[in-house]
Amino acid sequence: MPRFARLAVIPGLVLASALLLSAESQEFIQQAADTNINRQYMIETVSLAGIEVGQTVPIKLPKRLRERLRSLVGQHYDIAMLEDLSAEIRKELHFRTVTQHLSRGSTPEMVRVNFDVVRRDLFFDISLPKFLYHSKQGFSGEVDASTRLNQNDLEFGVVSNGDDLTERFTGFTARYDSAPFAEIAGSDRMRLGLTFEDYHVEWNQATLAALPGSGLDLYRSRWNAAPELVFNIAPLTVSVGTSFETLESEFAGGPRQSANAGTLDISYRHKIEGNGVQQQIEGRYSLRVATRALGSSYAYARHLISAKYEVKTGRQTIADEFLGGAIDGNAPFFDRFVLGSSSTLQGWDRYQIDPLGGSRVVHNQVTYGYRVGPGTVQGFYDAGMLWQSDRAATLRHSLGCGYKQGVFVMAMAFPVRDGRIEPVFMAGMNY
Amino acid sequence: MSSVTAAGASDSLSVYLDGDYLRVNLPHLDFLKGKPLERLKDGATVIFSGHLKLSASPNALLPVAQSVASFAVSYDIWEERFSVTKLTQSKEARHTWSHLSAQAAEAICLDNLVIDRGQVPADKDFFVQLELRPDDAKDQLGIIGNPGIDVTRFLIEMFGKPPRSPQERVLYSSGPFRLSDLKRTEVRSTRG
Repeated sequence: MPRFARLAVIPGLVLASALLLSAESQEFIQQAADTNINRQYMIETVSLAGIEVGQTVPIKLPKRLRERLRSLVGQHYDIAMLEDLSAEIRKELHFRTVTQHLSRGSTPEMVRVNFDVVRRDLFFDISLPKFLYHSKQGFSGEVDASTRLNQNDLEFGVVSNGDDLTERFTGFTARYDSAPFAEIAGSDRMRLGLTFEDYHVEWNQATLAALPGSGLDLYRSRWNAAPELVFNIAPLTVSVGTSFETLESEFAGGPRQSANAGTLDISYRHKIEGNGVQQQIEGRYSLRVATRALGSSYAYARHLISAKYEVKTGRQTIADEFLGGAIDGNAPFFDRFVLGSSSTLQGWDRYQIDPLGGSRVVHNQVTYGYRVGPGTVQGFYDAGMLWQSDRAATLRHSLGCGYKQGVFVMAMAFPVRDGRIEPVFMAGMNY
Repeated sequence: MSSVTAAGASDSLSVYLDGDYLRVNLPHLDFLKGKPLERLKDGATVIFSGHLKLSASPNALLPVAQSVASFAVSYDIWEERFSVTKLTQSKEARHTWSHLSAQAAEAICLDNLVIDRGQVPADKDFFVQLELRPDDAKDQLGIIGNPGIDVTRFLIEMFGKPPRSPQERVLYSSGPFRLSDLKRTEVRSTRG
């Protein structure tokens, strides 16, 4: 059994057990919530730790959560929603427990809700945010440990990823997020983020075979330090920063290179709730400009834009997701574009498309989902092009189907092409 | 006929035939108490799992026949009465009873645990076991969310939780019985 496959057994067992727990509990919780006799009553007040939300609250509640709690007033009592909120408050504010308590309101037909909280002596969490098994790429996954000190978040992670880039990168990450330290327009916030990454890199044989004459350099490890300032200007999140990335040559005595860059990331998210129709729009633009002014060996500009539109009505969901990107200049492997992953041109082998990655990319995915029981059966169609600026592009297509329940997904996809077709199987979470 | 009781209960489990069904009865069934009752009075819905099984011996692993059901119980904060819903695969088949006292709510759960007479061994002794316990579905919240699996919480839930208090679980065993010896009553209702 490969080394990483052995390492993946433990998170795999956790994943399988959690999936079983999830399937059972989600259905029961929803069914049970619908039957609660107190649904007939309206919520008069909502309190956190005994203090009514809306008055001064000693616990620093994020604005979004504060608004959600306020919006409960005047609504019918819904135990499922309250339990979701308890879990969110616990996670967001890192309490040991949060439990909701119901009491009579000032008049019959009205009730009061209080969220009781128990603080932790020391906060420390381990989570499995992403996990994927891909029948051609093997396992990819991440395990994070996080803690919070005086509203400053610290997170350490172990990653092995053979899905996102031409290379498989395995190593450690560390992330610091400061407490919000400035208020903009009275309510929105600014904070400082700092990311460290240290990865060992493994190359695919197809990449090694295609390398001669390409002008690209292999590296055996890379590490990155990236400070950034993040502004939340609802519905936009903007981050401006720098990234100091150092690449250790694959060959003994080879020169150490760097890809030091200025970075900009703008993301947008908006939800529209209508009569039985929910729409969600997401957009993102990211720019990375590596320049010799920052001491970089590489000089290039990488632009990536992505957009997603999703509409839900009844049991049905339709989503369209687009991404397009371009690189001007000569970028190292980790910044080159890839198609044929678990989220783009699913079913294709990325090394057959281009073992070196591309400097131009366009991709679109259309997904149709139909809710069945606690999960959703999905069908998807991907179309995309990956090419170099000096070569012609080829349009490729793939089709697939899968089943999604919460954050868990199982899917099978195959490329649309002539000749022998091998379907690809994928199973995992948050990919 | 001998009787064995567990979970600190002193009452014996009586078994009788009601038309085409085998039913059980307990004079003082009392499982709406302790932490589940506290949670109900806090406005939560508590799911109780009921399991009635017939087996060839008191410690047999495989039942001869069984009835399994889940009941969602809630407590009306203004009326101070209970509501019971038998959970089923389809919403349409659900049945809810409301405005109940604690005893009436408990009796509803028991009445809905029945075994078809045709499944009862006709010419052999059998033992009867009744189990009623609250489910911990609520505690599983927070393990899985958008950021993925919270491994810490998962491990705490799996290994760090104290064992269930014996008072929260009702477990009665009784037997041996014979079908021909069972008391018969007039037909009360069809299967719940």
